[in-house]
Amino acid sequence: MKIYTGAGDKGMTGLFSGERVPKSHIRIDAVGDLDELNSFLGALEVLLSEDQPLLLEEVRRIQSHLFQMGAWLATAPGSSLDLLEEIGSEPIMALESAIEVMERELPVLKGFILPGGHRTAALAHVVRTVCRRAERKVVNLLDPTDDGKSSQQLLQISAYLNRLSDFLFVLARYCNRLVGVPDILWKP
Amino acid sequence: MMDSSMAKTETRDRECSTELRNRRWLSPTVFELELTRPRFFEFLPGQRIRLHHRGIERDYSLISTPGDPVIALCVRMVEGGRMSPLLASAEVGTTFHFAGPHGYFTLRKSMRPAVFIATGIGVAPFVSMARSGVMVSAMLHGARTPAELYYESLFRGIANQYVPCLSRLSSKIGLPENVFEGRVTECLKSRLEPGLYDFYLCGRSEMVRDVTLLVDELFPGSLVYTEIFY
Repeated sequence: MKIYTGAGDKGMTGLFSGERVPKSHIRIDAVGDLDELNSFLGALEVLLSEDQPLLLEEVRRIQSHLFQMGAWLATAPGSSLDLLEEIGSEPIMALESAIEVMERELPVLKGFILPGGHRTAALAHVVRTVCRRAERKVVNLLDPTDDGKSSQQLLQISAYLNRLSDFLFVLARYCNRLVGVPDILWKP
Repeated sequence: MMDSSMAKTETRDRECSTELRNRRWLSPTVFELELTRPRFFEFLPGQRIRLHHRGIERDYSLISTPGDPVIALCVRMVEGGRMSPLLASAEVGTTFHFAGPHGYFTLRKSMRPAVFIATGIGVAPFVSMARSGVMVSAMLHGARTPAELYYESLFRGIANQYVPCLSRLSSKIGLPENVFEGRVTECLKSRLEPGLYDFYLCGRSEMVRDVTLLVDELFPGSLVYTEIFY
């Protein structure tokens, strides 16, 4: 099976909703950042210890949610939205639960920390920054005058990414904790 | 990235068993299979299933309608293929397994006129749509010869403008009405008025690519939905 058609060789691509748009379109930009985020999560997953099956499972679940969210980003308002599975609040709640579980094992944070430490923690911080960028791109798609299904879902995705970056911050600290590396506190 | 579990209908994905009820040859290389319809199996016109048989998997678009008591597929015998010869020779009563429905090549609600463009057995998803009562502004139907214009009469009944595009004409006698001599891409350039359309393309990747690039050039602002047949 060929993976390519060549239909995008002249700088245009298609949305799930059928529109032909330049590859620099803000929706494609957001989809690309989500794809990058998902890929970095895959790299992080490779580095995570196999002794942490629940953590690995959580990362996989996040990757799956991001895939689903990519479809919403690639769909302009219209009838194509009816084909998509709506994203509810459950994914955000799952992230919040995971954050709480990890935080129970972490010392209280008393200042700013520098991104780094163990390689898994360092990568988690990189993923966090990609996540923040993806969130900004999603916010860029929001139309304040529209309160339809598309906008509601974009808000949901934006909230998810906001929570995901929190999760990744805590995960970075948790990864350091797992291997006995202390937080690197910022010293002004 | 898009062909994921995102579509609502995809969430109904399940493994089903089915039994061969009938086979009907449309030409020496193309045939229809009629299969029993599993209970609770639902789909939208234009969707496909993944058929499993003896360790081989292939995707086939459904040509039956959601209301039919059976499900039906259109299969092309592939030279050197593994699945199509099995399907061509399977006896009535043979059990197959499949997963699905899959895909989102379905008609979207729209104010723009719809244009179907298909080549070869890329007509398959359009058969289900046509049998379900869909009407379209135009259909460009590509084939090499008149004998390969599968489901021609069905499509003539659903398109305001039906154009059979024949790429290998050996004779000018007995040609179908409104025939275009050449490929669908050439036909698109010369027969379709400028405007905004919803294009539905199904066929080989080269056709899908060429038509998509033409739409970008000649019908900017139109929507394009595609399904590639291998």
